[in-house]
Order: sequence, then C-alpha cells, then structure tokens
Amino acid sequence: MTRKGLMLTAAVMLAGTAAMADTADKKIALSNNYAGNSWRQAMLESWQRVTEKAVADGVVASADAFTTAENQATEQAAQIQNMILQGYDAIVINAASPTALNGAVKEACDAGITVVSFDGIVTEPCAWRVAVDFKAMGKGEIEYLATRLPEGGNLLEIRGLAGVSVDDEIHAGIGEGLAAHPNFKVVGSVNGDWAQDVAQKAVAGILPSLPEIVGVVTQGGDGYGAAQAFAAVGRPMPIIVMGNRQDELKWWAEQRDAAQYETMSTSIAPGVSTLAFWVAQQILDGQEVPKDLTVPFLSVTQDTLDQALKDTPEGGVTSVDYTLDDAKKVIGG
Amino acid sequence: MMNIYKAPWFWAWVAAFAAFGATWSLSAGGGGGMALLVAALTFGSFSVLTGLGQMLVITMGPGNTDLSIPATMTLAATLSLKLMNGAGGVWIIAGLLTALLIGVGVGIVNFALIRLLRIPPIIATLSASFLYQSLAIWSNRGLRIKPPQALADFTTGRAVLGIPNLAWLALAITVVFWVILNRARFGRRISAIGQNPRAARLAGVPVASVTAATYVTCAVMAGLTGFLLACFSGGAALNMGAEFLLMSIAVTVIGGSSIAGGNSNVPGIWGGALFMYLIVSMLNSYGLGAGVRLLSTGVIIIAIVAIASGRKARL
Repeated sequence: MTRKGLMLTAAVMLAGTAAMADTADKKIALSNNYAGNSWRQAMLESWQRVTEKAVADGVVASADAFTTAENQATEQAAQIQNMILQGYDAIVINAASPTALNGAVKEACDAGITVVSFDGIVTEPCAWRVAVDFKAMGKGEIEYLATRLPEGGNLLEIRGLAGVSVDDEIHAGIGEGLAAHPNFKVVGSVNGDWAQDVAQKAVAGILPSLPEIVGVVTQGGDGYGAAQAFAAVGRPMPIIVMGNRQDELKWWAEQRDAAQYETMSTSIAPGVSTLAFWVAQQILDGQEVPKDLTVPFLSVTQDTLDQALKDTPEGGVTSVDYTLDDAKKVIGG
Repeated sequence: MMNIYKAPWFWAWVAAFAAFGATWSLSAGGGGGMALLVAALTFGSFSVLTGLGQMLVITMGPGNTDLSIPATMTLAATLSLKLMNGAGGVWIIAGLLTALLIGVGVGIVNFALIRLLRIPPIIATLSASFLYQSLAIWSNRGLRIKPPQALADFTTGRAVLGIPNLAWLALAITVVFWVILNRARFGRRISAIGQNPRAARLAGVPVASVTAATYVTCAVMAGLTGFLLACFSGGAALNMGAEFLLMSIAVTVIGGSSIAGGNSNVPGIWGGALFMYLIVSMLNSYGLGAGVRLLSTGVIIIAIVAIASGRKARL
C-alpha cells in the first residue's frame, strides 16, 4: 500500500499527468510567524513556487500560506486553532516560540492533523521537527578558520537577535569550536540582529577598542555590514564568514578579484519550507518518518562562489527548492 | 541667565561625554577616539533626523506619538531605491523626491485617521504602519537594490573637516528645526497646543492644520532618514527601521523634551542620539552580554531622565 502510494506519487511527479496520488485530496497549510526580512520573503516565494506545481500536478489539493502580523506566539496559536477548524490535514509551522505553541500544536494532533515544524521548531512530541543543527554551524565556522589560520588569533563574534534560541545555539557551537581550538580568542561580541545595518553600526562602535582581529564569526545577514565597518576605518580586512546573502557574496567576489580574498559562506536555505512541505506530504501518504530530521546547510566555497552568485537573485538569499527526492533522502537519514 | 547645568539638555550631553570617555579609555591606539567619534556622529545622525520629527509630534501633547516611523522609512527607502535602480544624475533627484513625497502621503494618511476617524494617534499610526510595511513588502519582496554610487559615496563620505557628511546634513536640519520651534509662529503654535489644546484653540490657533503639518513633517523626516540609511548601508531592507521606533522617542525624552508635551528641546536631541550610540558601544567594549547591556541601558536612561527632571522641578 505504502509502496504503491510512493510509486504513484513518483509517477505523478515525473509525468505530470492527472493521475491521483494518495494525498491528492489532502490540504496542507503553512503557519508562518514573520515575513519582515529578505530570508523570510525568499522562504515564502519558494513555498509558493513548489506548492503551486504540486497542486497543479494533483499531488495535494491545496497548500495555502498564512503569516501572522505581529510575530507573537499568542497570535500564531490562534491562527493554528483556526486552521484546525478549517479542516486542514497537515499544518507546516515556522514557529514564533519553541514552547509557547505546544498547546495549540497538541490540539491539532488530537484532531488528527499532521504537524511539521521547521526552522523555528516546536518541542511538542506529537509534532515532527525539520531542524537545523545550528550548533554544528557555529562549530564549523571556527573549524574553517582553524584551517586558514593555524596559529590562531583574535576573533570578533557577531551574534543574532538576543533571546532567540537560534542565537544561543550558534553561539554555543562557536563556544565548542573555541574549546577545541584554544589558540583562538573572542575579544569582542556584538548583536547584529541578522541585519547588515545593525551589524555595521554595532561593529563600528566596538572596533576602536579592539586589538587586531584576524577573523569574524557571524550568523548570516551580518557579514557585509561588518566588512563595511572594517573598511570605513581602514583596518586590515579579517576573514569574515558570510551568510549566503547576495550582497555578501558580491562583496566577497569583488575582494577576491581585487586582493585574492578568501572566505566561506554558510546558512540555512530559505527553501527549507519546501522540504517541510514534502515531509508533510510523505507523512500524509502513510510513510514512516522519524520525528526529528536534520536539514543540510547550504554552503558556498571559494570554488562555488561564481555559480552561487549567478543563481542568487539581486539583493536576495542563496536558496534551493527541495524536491520530493531530497525529502526522501533526508527521511532515510 | 540660567546656569548651564540646569538646561534640560545638559545631562544628556554629560552622559554622552562620559560614555565616550569610558569607551575611548579602552582603545589601544590614539586614533581610536577619532574613529569612535566618526561612528557616533554617523549613526547618531539617523537617530537625530527621526528624533526631530518625533519631538515635534510629542510636543503636541499627551497621546501624540508617531509609531509609523519604521514602516515609513522602509517604504520610502524601498520605493526610492527601486526607482533609482542604481542610476545616477537626475534619478537621484527623482529618488529623493519620491522618498519625501511618500513622507507627505504618509503624514496625510496618519492625520486623516486621527482627525477624521477620531482614532487615538498611537493606534492610528501603529495600524497604518502595517499598511506601509505591507506596501514595502509587496513592492519589492525584500530584495536589496544597491544605491547609486554617488549617493553611497556622499552618505559614507567625510568631505569637510573629517566630519561625516551625514552629520553636517543633520546639523543643518537641526538648526532649521531650532529656528522653527523657537522663532517661528508654527513652532510656538505646536508648543501652545501641547500645553493646552483648548486654550490654544480659543486663542485662535488653527489646531487642525498645525497638527496636520506636524504629522507630515515627522513622516517626511522618516522618509528622508530611510532614504539616507538605505544609501549608507547599501540598500533598503524590510526591517531597516525597526530600532527607530523606540530610538526616536528615547532621544526626545533623554534630550530633555517633556513627554507630556508643550516643551521641546532641540540641542538635547543630539545629546540623546550620541549617548544612545555610545552607551551601546561602551557596554560592548567592556564585553558585557546582551542581557546586562539592555538592563544597564534601561537603568542609565531612567537615571538621566530622573536627574534632568529633578533639576527642573526645583527651578
């Protein structure tokens, strides 16, 4: 039964015929807590692109996206309750809080609805989690710097939005990396709120009091601002780890052409929403899916920089639309 | 002739100098002070420009606050940068005019909601800001368009005496605001409304048109700031104005203007803006975590406002 469903779905994907998959009459909703930055906009566009095709191909009946206005857990909980009443079969959530939505999520599960959380995940056990190993991301940044600067040196850390769990996790990962590479020392730390202008402002304020910096560890969306702040006071440019934003990649390419500048760039692709969509579709299709899944990072290296820059929209974020096959790979571990 | 330490703006400036000294004392090289000063003047300019507009609104009395400043900045910056699309020359003028006209439009909408629909200003400007923010999202989906090179060079440049161009521009606009508030009829009328709207009306002040002009001025300042900030930081972002919601109110209050209205203070805006930048730099430089930093900022702001108002009470 399950294998037949799988094959049918695959056939639909390949042929694009009107053949019915087992999930053809299922309705999936996206509950999103925030839309006010370029990453979230790319995430919503990716969702729209992929689900429109899935609906047209008859894989699911509908896949509507809803975003709350105020980025608050109470508002999102109410939104989820509305979705329960509207009779969706699955709800895909980017949550405002890992715990505050658990009550609403439990209600949805009890009503027989499949709940898949991603990026901003929920801890309620009945829900699935498509999570990013943010700790590994922070640790990876230090490991990369260790390969480039074997003798170590002073680092500047740019953190995200204070109080958000993602910020704590990346920071903890950077801490683990530092423990493994004690020749690096973080001599300054600022909050860049994942925004170029905020990061630039904060870095410009702390730079005068800092000794020479060899590397900057970041969380994404803050690398270009940091570079501007270093350039404005004419200090030697450290290795700034970038976060896949187009302006960061463009600056990197310019520096590479002008001064053989080398760095790396890593972030979670906004298209992760589409991975969560396919995971929800697979669960509805009756597949065995583990509750905790891990999304791969999207990294750009010196070698892939030109290609990534070409594929990233002007002023946007490097992304990838996940396919059903990608989802199966992630589910298979 | 009043003693200088009794001036409402005095303590904001004292705090700004203290924060500057404390941060400078940590800097290794001698050049650190200049770099810090340049950074404070650059980023402080944005706070000054939004703060001046907010100050006019707050001066009109209790309940008057413009919460649509962040969304207006984002909308003006997004649309003007999209229009210019990186081109120089006449397009720069067109872009600037677009940003200012959006300010005018926003101000008129805000005023219409407040006056015609009788919605309290805080609710009216907050709810309207969702409209402006949605327009900004809808128009460009959050993509960052680079500013024209000439504008990027101007906003990041230091042409005269090593002082940032932005600071000169903000200073010039500040002088205009000082003249308006202290010497012109319009400014006197704003203060009169803030002190007692009923008395002002009976004295023949055209309350409606003064209120309209004030909200328009505030929104135009927000539009201008958004335009400059986007050119400075390499493009408009959807969340670019977020911190100016509280910043514009904070610099007004720290600067010695009365939150209850009727009494504004232009020099204090600069003291407040420089202080708000330097205090974060100082706490960052001393390596304090985000929690302690926010806590200390709050405590210090309360202390300054308390000291400043204590002095006034004894006058």
